[in-house]
Amino acid sequence: MSSRTLPRLLQTPAVIMLLIWMLIPLGMTLYFSFIRYVLNSLRRPEWTTPSFTNWRGFGNYEFVMNSKDFLFAIQNSLFIVGSILFLTVILGVLIAVLINKAFPGQGLVRVMLISPFFIMPAVNAVLWINMILDPVLGLNGLAVEGINNIIASMHDAPLVGWFFSLWPKIDPISFRATQTSAYAVIIMVTWQWTPFAVLIFMTSLQSEDEQQKEAAILDGAGKWSQFRFLTLPHLGRPIAIVVMIQAIFHLSLYAEIEIVSRGNGNKNLPYLIGEFANNNIGAASATGIFAVILANIIAIFLLRMVGKTLME
Amino acid sequence: MGRIVLENVVKRFDETEVIPPLDLTIEEGEFAVFVGPSGCGKSTLLRLIAGLEDATAGRVLIDGEDVTEVSPSKRGLAMVFQSYALYPHMTVRKNIAFPMRMAGMSEAEQNERITAAAKSLNLTDYLDRKPGQLSGGQRQRVAIGRAIVREPEAFLFDEPLSNLDAALRVGMRLEISEMHKRLQTTMIYVTHDQVEAMTMADKIVVLQAGVIEQVGSPLELYKTPRNVFVAGFIGSPKMNLLSGVEAAEYDADTIGIRPEHIDISMKSKKGSWEGTVGVAEHLGSDTFIHIHGIPGCDPMTVRAGGDIEVKHGDKIYLSPQAEHIHKFSEDGLRIP
Repeated sequence: MSSRTLPRLLQTPAVIMLLIWMLIPLGMTLYFSFIRYVLNSLRRPEWTTPSFTNWRGFGNYEFVMNSKDFLFAIQNSLFIVGSILFLTVILGVLIAVLINKAFPGQGLVRVMLISPFFIMPAVNAVLWINMILDPVLGLNGLAVEGINNIIASMHDAPLVGWFFSLWPKIDPISFRATQTSAYAVIIMVTWQWTPFAVLIFMTSLQSEDEQQKEAAILDGAGKWSQFRFLTLPHLGRPIAIVVMIQAIFHLSLYAEIEIVSRGNGNKNLPYLIGEFANNNIGAASATGIFAVILANIIAIFLLRMVGKTLME
Repeated sequence: MGRIVLENVVKRFDETEVIPPLDLTIEEGEFAVFVGPSGCGKSTLLRLIAGLEDATAGRVLIDGEDVTEVSPSKRGLAMVFQSYALYPHMTVRKNIAFPMRMAGMSEAEQNERITAAAKSLNLTDYLDRKPGQLSGGQRQRVAIGRAIVREPEAFLFDEPLSNLDAALRVGMRLEISEMHKRLQTTMIYVTHDQVEAMTMADKIVVLQAGVIEQVGSPLELYKTPRNVFVAGFIGSPKMNLLSGVEAAEYDADTIGIRPEHIDISMKSKKGSWEGTVGVAEHLGSDTFIHIHGIPGCDPMTVRAGGDIEVKHGDKIYLSPQAEHIHKFSEDGLRIP
């Protein structure tokens, strides 16, 4: 037995486990996506059991691509993921730089900053949509009402009253509406995931070389130049990692979308799968395959990007 | 340009006084070396001059101008750090250009200075590489290049050679000395290595616990150390220090004799010490013999010629050259 055979042999069970874990669901999804398979049909009861005799070829794929929500779901997926990435990275860098300086109560502030990350996505969504973003009961409604009251009370003020009486009464934004539900999801997920970015950037900032900064100070670099030419390049790698991990995670957002508007005006591929899966397992599986393809395209782009920063 | 004066400078971190009130003048064009054991405050002193630390009290003057409250970048000093402190994501060219870019210098002027610096430091072939692709010595040269292009009033070196291997250190030492001769700019160099101090300095400042023990040229320190600490610190191998009966013979509390000022013989002579050879280090040019059994100093180190044949356990007789005996009083100060 050569020296490598035994280790290989010992690895085999784990590798086989992993393959089963991956290949069986993928294989079943592929299989279902090529047959007619529904959960309930009175007219065609034979479609309720998966079988090769119900072969449909690329019919399910065609059906999904022609459905009215498909392109919108892909577009919306990318919009939500892109917006969240943009906001979390910018906020994350700013907050991390801000709390990297020593100040009293630093430990407490750090713990509190991380805490949103420990809240379950569904709970996060319920809290935000009902307690903060709700146009009547939430902070959103209360704040708008408060502003309206202040303006109304100014109408009778001497001298400037006429000026305030020209102001319109403002209406709170309803975040469950078709036009706004995507923003609600972006806001709440950004709130939940910014701490993750902060955590990663903060640890990276602590490894920043102090002598480099001192050299830069002597070289005449101000605070902004130090940030621009030293800190930002230093954060390049963690930013790439945060972007990659979050992109993969947020492609599969579901709970927030369901809770905010039940997909009204705001669908992504996982949500579309969920809608099809109410009855049409074949179409749901085909959508699943599309989601796999989309995730892979994005992952390849991201891996290239991360790989490039890691090579430097 | 570049006369640096410290007046009554004090540095405290909370309650601990790192540097008690201290006065020092470094003349224009001088190569001054701060030397002392680790933790003696020599780096803190350099950082005070650079402006990276604020003085708790006292004044720092450069060319007669009080710069105590002036920001580091406005003091016109350039510093070379022990860890090189190069910007890792920038090429060598951009690293060297950074201070000029911050100063808003024109592109043409920048390129001219970079080319000149790269040529004098043998970096021309490496300008487009990143610091990670360079060897330790090359990185150090880039750091020096970054300092040169600013044409500073004075260069500050913070243990710049400590991270290099021995052979490279000797080479870089020469390069820096030659650079000083060429530029004639004031340089302040911090090191814990007294060999670097002796070989490079015009003026050595020996520090211990934040206090200046002695200031002088290398040979002054070697010939007339002001106290026991300087006597033991300057010179390699170290001066042998004897106390007790042997010292009392010379009416001193402690006497010191350098290894190169002891005559050896295999036969007893008047006024000589008797000992046995412990270890003999044959360097070819010299032999350093460590001798045991001499009261008040164990082992005593002696420098002998390269071709002497001694071995472990040999009896040996030592007679110090009377004119080279350093005498120190009870409080450690030199007795003239």
